[in-house]
Amino acid sequence: MRFAADARLCGADHAAGVSRNSRRTLIAVVATAATVAATLIAVSAVQGDSPQRSSTEPTLRVQQELFAGIPQQGIVLGSPAAPVTLVEFADLQCPYCSEFARVALPTLVQDYVRTGRAKLVFQGLAFLGPDSRTALRAVLAAGLQNRAWNVLDGLYGRQGAENGGWVTRRLLREVAGDVRGLDVRRMLRQSTSPSVTRLIRDADRFAREGGVHGTPTFFVGRSGGPLQRVQLTSLSAEALRPALDAALAG
Amino acid sequence: MNDPGARLVLAVAAAFGLVIAAYLTAVHYRGGVPVCAGGGCEVVQRSRYAELFGVPVALLGTLVFTTLLVSAVLRAPVVVAGAAAVALAGVAFAAYLVYVQVVVLDAICVWCVASDALSVVVAAAAWQRLRHTLA
Repeated sequence: MRFAADARLCGADHAAGVSRNSRRTLIAVVATAATVAATLIAVSAVQGDSPQRSSTEPTLRVQQELFAGIPQQGIVLGSPAAPVTLVEFADLQCPYCSEFARVALPTLVQDYVRTGRAKLVFQGLAFLGPDSRTALRAVLAAGLQNRAWNVLDGLYGRQGAENGGWVTRRLLREVAGDVRGLDVRRMLRQSTSPSVTRLIRDADRFAREGGVHGTPTFFVGRSGGPLQRVQLTSLSAEALRPALDAALAG
Repeated sequence: MNDPGARLVLAVAAAFGLVIAAYLTAVHYRGGVPVCAGGGCEVVQRSRYAELFGVPVALLGTLVFTTLLVSAVLRAPVVVAGAAAVALAGVAFAAYLVYVQVVVLDAICVWCVASDALSVVVAAAAWQRLRHTLA
């Protein structure tokens, strides 16, 4: 009788031991899985927050990295305290604007914006047609997340035939998806928001007041002061340098 | 579900997952675009989230599904436990990738979603198998 009781006790102990081992194994499996998953997700999230590695768009990648670390506020690129302001009126479908972004912008950003000497203000116009309007709305919506210049540059890099329907929702997602820290969905949602409409109207008004009839058109001056129109002789950084340097000296 | 049943589900789901992941891996290395309903595959596959440590996520999926497929024919407890850990990690990462598609990229890749759904099935089967082995 006593042996039977001991046997039952031993059986219970054994069962409890097995149960404890099982629980330990299950916990170990879950903990391992959680650790691995957390690591993968962390790496992916960090990667997702860094510039894209792309084999097909090297130029675009370089351009996106161009803005890294430079403050953006709405349509303004550069330090808010920069002594000089350069305003660009541009249309997203304008090939000259695209060329300017490709050829001159990197130098201007490196020499004037990154150094805190000037800030760039994008005033978007959409006189070339429907694709201009759609693209502009996306850029301004990205500006609501302080990523306007990244999307602007991405769209210039993929500029298609004028009003050929190239500014598709898919393209906007692709371009916006390349921009670190940009909520693509929010950008698309806000592209038709009253805030964006207000920015478009403001730019139209500034263009009328400044007598802007073509793009790109530039104005330079001391921040907070009157701006002077710059007559471009070429679409290079050198064409803007004298005006910028003069404003800095003033 | 008994062990043979869990093994069968694990093997079948892992095999389907392997086919999808292998297809996406091939597309990735060929530089093409997956045949896709809805048009979201290109966005997802060319996004920053399509690679991890410089390795295509699709290739990692291929390796994971291959591992789980092989584990389905083995009975050693350590293999079953390892497979369960891999499958659970896989399903957690799959959930994160669904979040990325829906919230971050606003684009759905149907192949990826199918693979993610299979990850859930595979994880459930692997977990069931582990519990059966430990019972």
